Amino acid sequence: MHRIAAKNITKTFLIGYAKRQGALARCISMISGKEPQRRLTAIDNISFCIGPGEITGLIGANASGKSTLLRIIAGIHPVDSGTLTTEGTIISLINLHAGLKDRLLMKDNIGLCASLFGLDKKGIVQRYDSMIAFSGLEAYTGTKIYQFSSGMRQRLVFSIAVHCNPDIILLDEDFEVGDETFRIKSMQKLKELQGNGTTIILASHNLKLVQEHCTSALWLQNGKIERMGESSAAVDAYQVETGKV
Amino acid sequence: MLKKIFRLSVTLAIAEIKLRNEDSYLGIIWYLLNPLLIFGLLLTVFSTRLGQNIPQYPLYLLLGIIMFNFFQRATMDSTRIIQDNKIIIKSIHFPYTSLIGSIILKILFSHLIEIALFGIVLAFFHISPAGILLYPLVLAPFCLFTAGIAFMLCALTAYIVDLENIWLFASRLLWFFTPIFYAIESGSRLHALNAYNPLFHYISIAREMIIYGHIPAWWNVAAATGYALLSLAIGLAVFNNLKSKFAELI
Repeated sequence: MHRIAAKNITKTFLIGYAKRQGALARCISMISGKEPQRRLTAIDNISFCIGPGEITGLIGANASGKSTLLRIIAGIHPVDSGTLTTEGTIISLINLHAGLKDRLLMKDNIGLCASLFGLDKKGIVQRYDSMIAFSGLEAYTGTKIYQFSSGMRQRLVFSIAVHCNPDIILLDEDFEVGDETFRIKSMQKLKELQGNGTTIILASHNLKLVQEHCTSALWLQNGKIERMGESSAAVDAYQVETGKV
Repeated sequence: MLKKIFRLSVTLAIAEIKLRNEDSYLGIIWYLLNPLLIFGLLLTVFSTRLGQNIPQYPLYLLLGIIMFNFFQRATMDSTRIIQDNKIIIKSIHFPYTSLIGSIILKILFSHLIEIALFGIVLAFFHISPAGILLYPLVLAPFCLFTAGIAFMLCALTAYIVDLENIWLFASRLLWFFTPIFYAIESGSRLHALNAYNPLFHYISIAREMIIYGHIPAWWNVAAATGYALLSLAIGLAVFNNLKSKFAELI
């Protein structure tokens, strides 16, 4: 049984680039505001399966397709070809500031963010206290978010997300920012969710974190899977390739 | 799914309403200020000219302004909603339909405050405000019509950025084309053209019911219902076809 199954998925984007243009074409581009575009293959015909209760590390250089893959799994980007099937509710923490409104109070933001993550009003009321307790921000429920530090925002969003009963959690690099105590607490919570069958995908440049906590790793390079398997082996291979060892 | 969309729309709308009133000393008075200013200005300029032959001209004018205001604000907001929420759209998968739902609910909130004010003005002119109780009959299809246009504009603006400016211009033209501060004679060319203007039907029905206490013409009602269903069907079809690329375009 797989929680996430991808078969030959490909995703391309149209991106702007500096093209050699004639004077007329440059004038038209300047007036219309349209820049020349080319097609970039961010995810190139990849297949993989991830089961329940797995923590998979997503590793690779910048622009290798990690965030795009997370967005595809989350349902934010549709694939151009291939099939992707997921099972259960997905919570994506691709940007740990997303869903928060700066000028609203923390308590209002909890309702807003949890609703965006798909939790109903009853669920929010039931878990409200646990969310606040986990974040350690009890003293700030009546404070507006713009007065929060970056770390406090991340703690809040992470706390909301893990209390929304996800079957799949997608974490981007942002997750690693924050104080050491909360990082340990977060990892313990993720392990607890993993024990309950939640599938976790963690995109990270912190190879030590991937080796220590992930059951498997997927190494992406230029949108293709370079290696997928046991986390230590995949990280070692990546380090050899990038000359970090 | 519909329940989920509605629930999220309400949450987003409440958040927006709170943000709008945040730290404001005058609060909801700001909702009334804009229509009242336009009303005062137009009444001063036109009451002795265009309004001479229109019974209860101040009420005729104010209701027209309030209703057009609802349509214009909802549709203008829809042209910006994708850009305004780009971080959420690129990070969280949620039903985008609720973004339009939140706009309609948010504007509806201020619209209802304006309608309550209109009720007070009705009493001032010795007309029973009871007619307002019938207003939901026209407000429901009017909301559906506006939502349909909002869906369309929201989706198309994500692809064609210029549409925001085009719509700003087009809605101003629509303001002059719709009989808000003037009346059109039955049988005139403008009257024939306005048969194709959905706003004309909604505003006419509301005026007939609330100000003049008449049963609206059947063809107005039929057109209002038809335009609402057509607009919503086309709007949703366009939106659902284009929404998958929103995150790529912002």
